[in-house]
Amino acid sequence: MTQQLPVQTLQPMIRVLSDEQVRAIHYATLEILAKTGVEMQDPQGRELLLEAGAWESNGRIKIPENLVTDAIACAPSRIPMYDRLGNLTMPLELGKVFFGSGSDTTFTLDVKTGERRRTMAQDVEDIAHLCDALENMDFIMSMGNPSDVPPDDLYIHEFIRMIRGSVKPIVYTAKNRADMEDIYRIAVAVASDEEALREKPFLLLYAEPISPLLIPEESLQKLTFCAEKGIPASYPPSPNTGGGGPITLAGALALGNAECLVGLIISQLIRPGTPFLYGMNTAAMDMKSTIVSYGSPEWPLGMMAQMDLARYYNLPAWSAGGASDSKVVDAQAGIEMTFSILTNFLARATLVHDVGYIEYGSTSSMEALVIADEIIRMTRFLVDGVAVNETTLALDAIARVRPGAGFLADDHTLDNWKWAQWRPALIDRNRYDRWVKLGRKDMFTRANERAREILEEHQVPPLPEEAEGAIAEVLAERAAAGG
Amino acid sequence: MSDILKQIAEKLYDGEDDAVAELTQRALDEGLTPAEVLNGGLLAGMDRVGVDFRDGELFVPEVLIAARAMHAGMAILRPLLTESDVPSAGKVVIGTVEGDLHDIGKNLVGMMLEGGGFEIVDLGTDVPPDRFIEAIKMEHPNLIGMSALLTTTMPSMKRTIDALMEAGLRDTVRVMVGGAPVTQTFADEIGADGYAPDAASAVELARSLAGQINKSDG
Ligand code: B12
Repeated sequence: MTQQLPVQTLQPMIRVLSDEQVRAIHYATLEILAKTGVEMQDPQGRELLLEAGAWESNGRIKIPENLVTDAIACAPSRIPMYDRLGNLTMPLELGKVFFGSGSDTTFTLDVKTGERRRTMAQDVEDIAHLCDALENMDFIMSMGNPSDVPPDDLYIHEFIRMIRGSVKPIVYTAKNRADMEDIYRIAVAVASDEEALREKPFLLLYAEPISPLLIPEESLQKLTFCAEKGIPASYPPSPNTGGGGPITLAGALALGNAECLVGLIISQLIRPGTPFLYGMNTAAMDMKSTIVSYGSPEWPLGMMAQMDLARYYNLPAWSAGGASDSKVVDAQAGIEMTFSILTNFLARATLVHDVGYIEYGSTSSMEALVIADEIIRMTRFLVDGVAVNETTLALDAIARVRPGAGFLADDHTLDNWKWAQWRPALIDRNRYDRWVKLGRKDMFTRANERAREILEEHQVPPLPEEAEGAIAEVLAERAAAGG
Repeated sequence: MSDILKQIAEKLYDGEDDAVAELTQRALDEGLTPAEVLNGGLLAGMDRVGVDFRDGELFVPEVLIAARAMHAGMAILRPLLTESDVPSAGKVVIGTVEGDLHDIGKNLVGMMLEGGGFEIVDLGTDVPPDRFIEAIKMEHPNLIGMSALLTTTMPSMKRTIDALMEAGLRDTVRVMVGGAPVTQTFADEIGADGYAPDAASAVELARSLAGQINKSDG
């Protein structure tokens, strides 16, 4: 018999926009760029665009289609990201899915006291430390704005704490070009030199334009810094529906797409081939509380839709998920985190940040991170699909079984149980009596204990000496300038 | 209260701008004075909107739809009103502080204050202390409202308050602050007069602060 091909496993994937819808949004974006135009506050960005063929009218910069097409063609389709030890751990490519924490929260749930309090520098390092151990956290963000450092040096301290706390790739925030220079200096010291950093980047800038239609000087200068150095950057706008974006998702996507593409164009004009992570954040503004909700169904729906745009452009993309609007880590948090993790995975969002946020991004929680890690594992199992082959069809075992007797002791079970089923680590499936014996612990308590255990036991390789030297220099210079 | 004024207030609450315009005209035709129509109809309706918004019964767009209906009525009344007919709750200079570009929340607070009868002077985003000072000198507001969404820009609120003291203007205005990372504790620390966590409570706060100013003036 001719050797037959194996049955391919369908690994479920969701699109929420048809080809026709994607094109319609793309055309709307082109219309926004060429007819409405954007307000470009950075002089260099303005010059670059005008020289490349954009024009100015009514104070707006208007961008023709060919600049968009050229930039998309020019941008790399993959951004290989490394850990700070030089291992390729996060190849940002379409089809792959990576999760990580979020940036800059004001408060944190203290893992020891449970109290919601202002974030401190040590929290940034501790949370990075925790994420370093969590298998499904692929990258680190600050998860906090330290309140115990000089505000002008805040993002520098965040970066230092992140890079000390974990070896994983870092997605960072900066205030301005001066911050970028200091962060770059530290990163170069970690990598050993500029070339090594460019070849094996372990950091990705998170800067944003302002929806609607405003490209501020400071944020664009952070992006241009990365383009000059050839290191990865993202420029995701937040056209929150009803706030910075139209109330309707399609309009928010068209607008966010336009703003993001301006960033892409600039990055490619400065240095063709600059690694640029496409994407946007179209969360919904709640019309009663006026929060920008990180738990609403609109949020993952928008994130899935922008992945369809990303695939149309053949670019990996930024996304967000695994967060909640709940003030505590409760059932609401569980629902909302699961909802956005599952949907992001199904849509194959490339880089999903904000995992572990509660209170719509105002507070970080280590427990939420630990729980999310479990949700991601669960989701991964589901998205893997149903393998159908000789082993999994189990025809021999079915032929062997005594009717009514079950498969528990069958060799087929004993040989395959380990991979055929998913096993919880944090989710409790104990029978009642054992659960009581173990102390009647709910999910939050178990997550809290796990987090503390990790903080105690997990070891993170220290930074190279030169890197600590560069950090000391940067901080000393800043202290001298500030005092 | 006359029947027609009640109707105006109701239609305004429901956001029916055409009906409000029509009823406003009819009330004038029936011989009511512009001030009566304003106070007994439009403002009475807007007050109910404000209360229900504060109590979490209305959504923001419902408030803005009601405000749109208010404008429809005002378009007819305004040419007929003298300045003293229009009661102003006070004047507020509002802005997002230096280094901060978030303005959705600040804009919303401005809109809600306007709906609550305040006159708003919006300085925009990235407003340094001296621009607040300049505006106070030019506009003579009762209140200033500062917004900050970033930990890194919160200190600019304190710098602005310090600058007000230095310029000898601190006693001429009440200062309110807000924005997601701002707390009552922070507001107290920097010597602000009030803090509100959202737009609905911002209106109430502004009213009570404006009340203090009016009392201390008189
Ligand atoms: C939209 C948004 C943006 C937009 C802003 C667009 C715009 N035109 O405003 C963009 C994309 C530009 C942006 C940029 C940045 N952002 Co931002 N952003 C947000 C987001 C998602 C929502 C904010 C919002 O509009 N909320 C809706 C409004 C209606 O609510 P509000 O602002 O809180 O206002 C209400 C109350 O606070 C109060 N209020 C507000 N002002 C005042 C004033 C007075 C007087 C009173 C009484 C009350 C009051 O009433 C308002 C109405 O109810 C939040 C996260 C979140 N989910 O909240 C992050 C967030 C605020 N951003 C954050 C950060 C870090 C940034 C960036 C530094 C990110 C970066 N990597 O560059 C930049 C900074 C740019 C700059 N220099 O300002 C952090 C701030 C953390 C911190 N403590 O510092 C947040 C919390 C997200 C996070 N966790 O990382 N952001």
